[in-house]
Amino acid sequence: MTDVPAAGPAPDAASSGTPRAQGMLRLGRSTFPPSQPLIMGIVNRTPDSFFRPGVTWDETAAMERVHQVIAEGADIVDVGGIPAAPGAQVDVSEEIRRTAGFIGAIRASYPGIVISADTWRHETGRAACEAGADLLNDSWGGYDPRLADVAAEFGAALVCAHVGRQEPRTRPFRVAYADVMTDVLGQVQRLARRALAAGVRPDRIIIDAAHDFGKNTWHSLEVTRRLGEMTDTGWPVLVSLSNKDFVGETLNLPPELRLPGTLAATAVCAWQGARIFRAHQVTESRQVVDMVAAIRGDRPPARAVRGLA
Amino acid sequence: MITAAAVCPAPPLLARELTGADPVVPDLRQACLEATRALLATGPALVAVVGVAGESRAFDPRGRADLAAYAPALARQQDGHDGPPARPAGEPLPLSLGLGSRLLDEAGYAGRRELRSVSEQTPAADCAALGAGLAGLAARVGLLVMADGSARRGLRAPGYLDERSAPFDAGVERAVRDGDMTALLALDPALASELMATGRAAWQVLAGAMSGSRPAGQIRYSGDPFGVAYLVAVLTAAADGST
Repeated sequence: MTDVPAAGPAPDAASSGTPRAQGMLRLGRSTFPPSQPLIMGIVNRTPDSFFRPGVTWDETAAMERVHQVIAEGADIVDVGGIPAAPGAQVDVSEEIRRTAGFIGAIRASYPGIVISADTWRHETGRAACEAGADLLNDSWGGYDPRLADVAAEFGAALVCAHVGRQEPRTRPFRVAYADVMTDVLGQVQRLARRALAAGVRPDRIIIDAAHDFGKNTWHSLEVTRRLGEMTDTGWPVLVSLSNKDFVGETLNLPPELRLPGTLAATAVCAWQGARIFRAHQVTESRQVVDMVAAIRGDRPPARAVRGLA
Repeated sequence: MITAAAVCPAPPLLARELTGADPVVPDLRQACLEATRALLATGPALVAVVGVAGESRAFDPRGRADLAAYAPALARQQDGHDGPPARPAGEPLPLSLGLGSRLLDEAGYAGRRELRSVSEQTPAADCAALGAGLAGLAARVGLLVMADGSARRGLRAPGYLDERSAPFDAGVERAVRDGDMTALLALDPALASELMATGRAAWQVLAGAMSGSRPAGQIRYSGDPFGVAYLVAVLTAAADGST
């Protein structure tokens, strides 16, 4: 298919004006070209996440969920032990207790699957990497700078997300930006440079606008509309859109009815070159990103016969 | 004279890159390649490719089919930019000749090739004359005939169902298998046109090229997976070159 730029030192500025080509992304032992969109299936080890709370709190149910998302086409399994929203405190030892052993169990069942640990804490990140995680999904914008050191030490990938000026597990309160995308680009690239300096390999650094994090709905819509400015940095872009409040507020719908809106946002981000899609509904998300990849010309149709016989 | 002829269909899906991730018709492609190899095994000094197109004429033997006309994404992948897809340099070949030329490439043929299109409306006698002319191009000429049967073989066929298609295509297959060039020459152009049997003129070029002999025919593939009759065959000239 299309030529793929070789992995190599990544850019450190987007505001230069010239778009940078996307390169290879390495996760665990796998290498993914820009033309291959990846689905990250969400598996929460929490009793109180916002979407279908508690359904995978039980470890057996959680492992069933892992089997399901992989069967449905997930390339990455994302395991988290703490909800994003404020609520009952989860200390480090409890977070590790919820996630590390479970990650080890996934690794034992699926030697080749990419495993992501959704955490901002370096202690949890270390336990996750020791258990077999390939990717540290830091949704809280580098709050704990030692997480990048852990990623570097284990050769893991790292997500560099924009949260504005928020601390973990807080909600946005009257946030305002002169230009939200400028703020996003500045913060994620600062974090990417920090990760590089810490020794994370350039082909294992990912950026994330972090929809809803440090953003009101208008902000999340704006970064969705302008996501191409993120992909133009050359860093692989992860989007986490699934059933979030910006979808719910836009359509005035509760979490369980946000799939169509989620998929619309997914398509818009895929069209602009996002490469990782964190999702609850894997089957539907897989179909959307594969369809958009075919429209982009990144992926052939599965089977074309119409008009060709 | 003609040493041998290979008969292959020329649907776009014969090009592997047009069917997407699924090869869809690997057996058909393999049969075409093997028929072409059998043709080349007779040691021709020149291979003439004949296919139906909008007009009757010779094409540049270095030409290529423009598959981007069928799948614009293919051209975009080659030149890697947005906007209208780029076309191949030079004059593109009609699909039938392009697919035939690709078969020769895939079979490793590097010798002389003559690419001749024949228009769908060409009368039988003119087709036969063209075939006779091709047979005289060299002492040993191989003929690669790219021709499709009826596209009206079922309710889901491109041209919907016409009950006359099955006997028509069966007649073609029988004539090819039996080396009955007279029967090919007798195919009715009007009926063929109604049945969307676009290969009629090319079969009649074959008939003209091998007329006066009764070649041994061997069917390599016969089927209609998508409502269009595909026939793959090899015809080898009789050892003594006469009836």
